[in-house]
Amino acid sequence: MNESETHFEQLSRLLSLKGREVPPPGYFNGFSSRVIHRIRQGEAAKADGFLARLFEEAPWLLRFIRSFEARPAYAGTFVSVLFLLLVAGIVYSDHPEVATETLMPTTAAATGGSPLAVVTPNFMEQAPSQSADFVSSTNPVLSLDPGASAFGGQNSLLQPVGFTR
Amino acid sequence: MPDSAKPLEPNAAPETIEEEREEVLVRRSRRGDLKAYDDLVRRYQERIYATIYHMTSNHEDANDLAQESFIKAFQALGSFKGGSSFYTWLYRIAVNKTINFLKQRKNRTHMSLNDLDFNAEHDPDLMALISHKTPQRDAGLNELQEKLNAALLKLSEQHRLVVVLHDVQGQSHEEIAKVMDCNIGTVRSRLFYARQQLQSELADYLK
Repeated sequence: MNESETHFEQLSRLLSLKGREVPPPGYFNGFSSRVIHRIRQGEAAKADGFLARLFEEAPWLLRFIRSFEARPAYAGTFVSVLFLLLVAGIVYSDHPEVATETLMPTTAAATGGSPLAVVTPNFMEQAPSQSADFVSSTNPVLSLDPGASAFGGQNSLLQPVGFTR
Repeated sequence: MPDSAKPLEPNAAPETIEEEREEVLVRRSRRGDLKAYDDLVRRYQERIYATIYHMTSNHEDANDLAQESFIKAFQALGSFKGGSSFYTWLYRIAVNKTINFLKQRKNRTHMSLNDLDFNAEHDPDLMALISHKTPQRDAGLNELQEKLNAALLKLSEQHRLVVVLHDVQGQSHEEIAKVMDCNIGTVRSRLFYARQQLQSELADYLK
């Protein structure tokens, strides 16, 4: 390899000329700051990219926000409604019984005003007053026909089902 | 030559301290500390820039590519395992970026020539090359630079890179092998071939 080094000695000296090609003085003064600035910009763009993706997925959201820019009064109204909803939510969570009475006054009145009665209906009491054609319950129906036997008799509420065409 | 220019034993301790300091900077940068990364950029900006410049022969392209290399390195710091030094890893990013850029630019014939620094005109070796020993006595520095750049640009990217790293930047074969991710034999053979090519291209200036 030494021979080849000697062989290319002149070429190496000529190539050293390339090492003399340097940018003007002060060229690197702001270089690192530019790099750091671009890194920061890139990070900010990443955050912007998330918003851009969100608006792409839900364009209505962008229109909704832009409508606030066009008419600031909408923004005020929207915030007021949100605030009222928040206040109502707080009031409701403090006094749930008041809200229940307001929402279901007739049922509560029919059950003597007890809120528990509203959520746990008494079928034994209600059954005679209801129509015999319609019964609603989550309990399994064994027999609602007084004349039918649980073991042999046919239940009039159960219909035979066939799957053939 | 460049191989012998490598620091020997007496410099080993400061080099280790430097490496330790670099490790700390890399670790801090990985955590997103831009101040630490700013230090790393300042440390290597000139060397990275010079390599890219000698590959592209264009200051604007070199500036853009150097910036992009540092930005990419920052974004990829999480994947830096520390198997090589940060500098070698960074160099590899810059070199790959430059080679990709040159492949895209292949059809472009544009080449900007840049002014030599003032000292070059007073370099005795250089003046000897372009004075009585050359047949073209009136060849100025600019013309020589133009020929040199044109000859370099005729080489393939891989061959040009080896010449730039070894003959222009003074890196050792081992360092070049690490940067180019190949063995030392490949570096030597590429260097030999590239020099032969350059010698025939620049024959008029080397007699």
